[in-house]
Amino acid sequence: MRYFSHQNVATASDGVKSAIECEGKSCFIAGGTDLLGILKDDLLPSYPEKVINIKTIEGLGNVEGREGGARIGALAKLSALERDPTIIELFPALAESAASVATPEIRNAATLGGNLCQDTRCWYYRYPHHMGGRMDCPRKGSGPCHAVLGDNRYHSVIGGKRCFAPCPSDTAIALAALGATVEVIGADGERSLPVEDLYSPMGNTLRGGEILTNVDIPAQPKGSVQGFKKFTVRKPIDFAIVSVGARITALEGKVSEARIFIGGVAPGPYRDEGVENYLRRKPLDSQSIATASKKALLKAKPLSMNAYKIDIARSLIAELLEELTR
Amino acid sequence: MERTKEFRHIGKATPRKEGRQIVTGAVKYIDDLTLPGMLYGKVLRSPHAHALINKIDTTKAERAAGVKAVLTHENAPDWKFGIPRVVALLDKKVRYAGDAVAIVAAESEELALAALELIEVEYEPLKAVYDIDEATAEGAPDLYEEFPGNLLPTQSIAFGPNTLKEVVLGDVERGFAEADLIYEANTSYDNIPNPLPIEPPGVIARWDSPNELTVWSASQSVSWHRFMMMGKMGFPEIRSIGTQCGGSFGSKNHSPQPFFYAAALAKATGAPVKMLYSKEEHFGAFVLRLGSRFTGKIGLKRDGTVTAIEGEWLVDTGAFSDQAQTQIAVGLGELQLVIRCQNWRVIPKVICTNRAPSGIVRGFGGQELESSILPVFMEAISKEGLDPVDFLKNNFVKPGEGYLWREGNWWVCRGQDYAKAVEEGAKAFGWDEKWKGWLTPSSTDGHKRRGIGVGVHGNADVGEDESEAYVRLTPDGGAVIHANVAESGMGQRSSLIKMVAETLNLPLEKVTMTEPDTMVAPFEFGLTGSRGTWAVGTAVITAAEDALKKLHELAAPRLGVKAEELESENGIIRVKGSDAAQISWRKVIGVFHTVTGHGFFEPDFSMPNFMMLFVEVEVDTGTGQVTLERVVAATDAGRIIDPPSLDGQIYGALGAAGLDTAIFEETVIDKRTGRNLNMNMIDYKWRTFEELPVFDNVILENPLPSHRFGAIGIGEISTSPGPAAVLMAVSNAIGTRLSSYPLAPEKILAAVKSAGEVK
Repeated sequence: MRYFSHQNVATASDGVKSAIECEGKSCFIAGGTDLLGILKDDLLPSYPEKVINIKTIEGLGNVEGREGGARIGALAKLSALERDPTIIELFPALAESAASVATPEIRNAATLGGNLCQDTRCWYYRYPHHMGGRMDCPRKGSGPCHAVLGDNRYHSVIGGKRCFAPCPSDTAIALAALGATVEVIGADGERSLPVEDLYSPMGNTLRGGEILTNVDIPAQPKGSVQGFKKFTVRKPIDFAIVSVGARITALEGKVSEARIFIGGVAPGPYRDEGVENYLRRKPLDSQSIATASKKALLKAKPLSMNAYKIDIARSLIAELLEELTR
Repeated sequence: MERTKEFRHIGKATPRKEGRQIVTGAVKYIDDLTLPGMLYGKVLRSPHAHALINKIDTTKAERAAGVKAVLTHENAPDWKFGIPRVVALLDKKVRYAGDAVAIVAAESEELALAALELIEVEYEPLKAVYDIDEATAEGAPDLYEEFPGNLLPTQSIAFGPNTLKEVVLGDVERGFAEADLIYEANTSYDNIPNPLPIEPPGVIARWDSPNELTVWSASQSVSWHRFMMMGKMGFPEIRSIGTQCGGSFGSKNHSPQPFFYAAALAKATGAPVKMLYSKEEHFGAFVLRLGSRFTGKIGLKRDGTVTAIEGEWLVDTGAFSDQAQTQIAVGLGELQLVIRCQNWRVIPKVICTNRAPSGIVRGFGGQELESSILPVFMEAISKEGLDPVDFLKNNFVKPGEGYLWREGNWWVCRGQDYAKAVEEGAKAFGWDEKWKGWLTPSSTDGHKRRGIGVGVHGNADVGEDESEAYVRLTPDGGAVIHANVAESGMGQRSSLIKMVAETLNLPLEKVTMTEPDTMVAPFEFGLTGSRGTWAVGTAVITAAEDALKKLHELAAPRLGVKAEELESENGIIRVKGSDAAQISWRKVIGVFHTVTGHGFFEPDFSMPNFMMLFVEVEVDTGTGQVTLERVVAATDAGRIIDPPSLDGQIYGALGAAGLDTAIFEETVIDKRTGRNLNMNMIDYKWRTFEELPVFDNVILENPLPSHRFGAIGIGEISTSPGPAAVLMAVSNAIGTRLSSYPLAPEKILAAVKSAGEVK
């Protein structure tokens, strides 16, 4: 790893200020589980002169219940989320998604904000510099996307543009299904946006110096059920090949609202309206589930090696919805 | 499982001799070792898979802070790798993405890395070839001028002038004429997995004079860094010292590249240099398994008798080979152990391609060949509806039958018939209850389907190569074993101590072993294959016996009897069967003396070992996921020296480029850039402890004519039967024949789809 300076900040606005002063030559560190790998492998054309430690910001590590919903500080550890009684009771999809990340050691260090903001896992993007030089690509500012003509088994099947790396965050998929928003602070003050809008094909949509501070989950509709499911080659450690977060609200035995988000297939949580629309006003049963799940990703344009993700997404949706009927 | 009761130590689970130091972090690995004035070496690596270096300018790097030497093809020593020896330490040409371009020694790793950025290189990229087909196609670019068509010579002298380079026996035309069924196929085992021990390779080199080199390394077989490297370097005197070795799986028997880089930089700087590979280098520039493809035909009779085998064995060795030809020689022998046939014509070809080199990996040729040829046999016998367990049981070499071994000689098996082990294994697994016929699941639950499979492997390497040891008896009633044996995870140092303690009738704590060092102990080839138990065991046992004999000869006149009438226990010598006359070692040896015995082992390939793996998988036809549910390993060890160590070796079927190469272990090379895409433990799929299957070992103990304990090694061989067994199990589960590795979800889903609606 190369040398850099390290600064602790006490407030989010100090962090923003410090980052802006560095004119793009800094980065934030919280759990560090993603950042340290990026720095060690020297992935990016620019290397931070300063690493700004936001773990020292007070009050961003809590889970607070709020009128049936919750406000979660960005510094809350994934291991805390998977064990938090409020989360387990009210937002089991989030607890499951947090528990599905990596390993216990990593979840003990990794934060919710970091999980949402982590960099892509594209293996071209992640090619270690010391093994013949980093691989440039649109996301790094120059060069072609290697995945388009290369080995794209893990890449997006829908929504890619210039970059085809899928969103690696598991919690984003569950949070999107729950209708959560994220709060962000930057030079122009605070703003908040739906979790799914945090992502674009070229990475997250945070502007220079912005820090994600909180996640707000609204109270869930009465009669709603929710869940999260993730497909990986290995059960622990792996990032999702496909994941699904779902919230189904039923009224008098029929689906009144469905929120189905698919992970691992698009630059962000992919909302599958085809599945949602089919389910609406139908009873959630084996028959509707079988048909609805086949409608997933109908608009997908898979690359040369990743059409199998569509099959997996359909199987996963069916499995998850079946579980939600029980 | 039968356990031996008549021994004091043998067959009992005793604490690993160095276990406490290992688990408390007290042992020293290469990364822990620092010599005074030591520098750190780093390697500049090629962005191109195949290119000429037209210009290289190191001026800025040489002037950088803390930099003591920069070497390129222009000023590096003229040392060469390879069989044959043509591959320069640093070359004007690079042959894989990640190949070495220049090496730097500096006062710290950071300074060395920073200096690499200052080296300016002009490359002339060349067309690259990434697999056997591309490398052998008309007009393919040659990696080496010396090897047109990218074909390396198959002949080597690694095992003497007649080193096995093919199996040509009997009359294949007659064999095919006698066959009821001739089956032709082409199966590949070419996912080039990485054995990936936890610790990356590393070497520290120090020149004590212009012709005297001392190296410290994390090696499985420490003497290799002396006898294998001397000849490549103009015969300097080399002293090789082993550190604690954090795993090897064959790959760290020696580490030629870091060795050369450290030695060259140490020579250039006059200071000791440490060259410790990063995990990325370990992944991308060290040792991969050979790629393997069998293309040919086999002839069988209806009853499963194999009448002829004919074909080419295509071996992809990557950018160069230090060991492909030796693995071919051993692999060809191993196939003869597994399949009984009178008529053979199997001709290997060694092909080089633009990816990191292949080297030694547990399985050593046999796993590669069997994983590509056994599925062909399995498909053939499935046509006749034969049971694979019976077929493999019947075909495995029986006492009195012969085979060609690696050095070209014909050996007749004087081991045992392993049929009993097969039967016990099949019973423990429940094979007969679960086997529902070919391409038929054992059970089905919705889209989850279970299937079973079986694979086999054997190796006559249990008696390969030479070993020597001294055992020095000390007056305090202790013994020191001088043997050049490294601890790379198998526990063999501990087991050898047990054998000596048993022979000398001493408590375990009174026996120790010198640290691996070629200056301290006599010649020891190392812990290759499964040779530790019989070959190295024989050397230390006979050394102990020799020492004891000398001791008894000294004691005999003092007790007024013949030496043969004496026995020893806990450092006391007495007349056998009598407590009356006795004398301590201290009195016999004298406080200022020791008694030393010398023991030997000479190669003997007549006693192959054996391993059958039974596997059960569950396949989710909705997601393509393959879950390994159960493994039963069946073998006969002759006698178990240390039960937990042996169990551990067999559990090693998982991970380390073994069974899991059929499920998810693979190296992914980008076919447009030649870059290795999965040089990390996330994208390279190693089984985790969270996903261990139920794994039972059925280990029989029918003593073999090896040494006084009747044991032979089986440690290496549990990986090899796995891939073919899993391929069979998954094929049976989904009802469709699969014929390539690994069985990734996309492959399963495609197979399920192409087979139409799964029944």
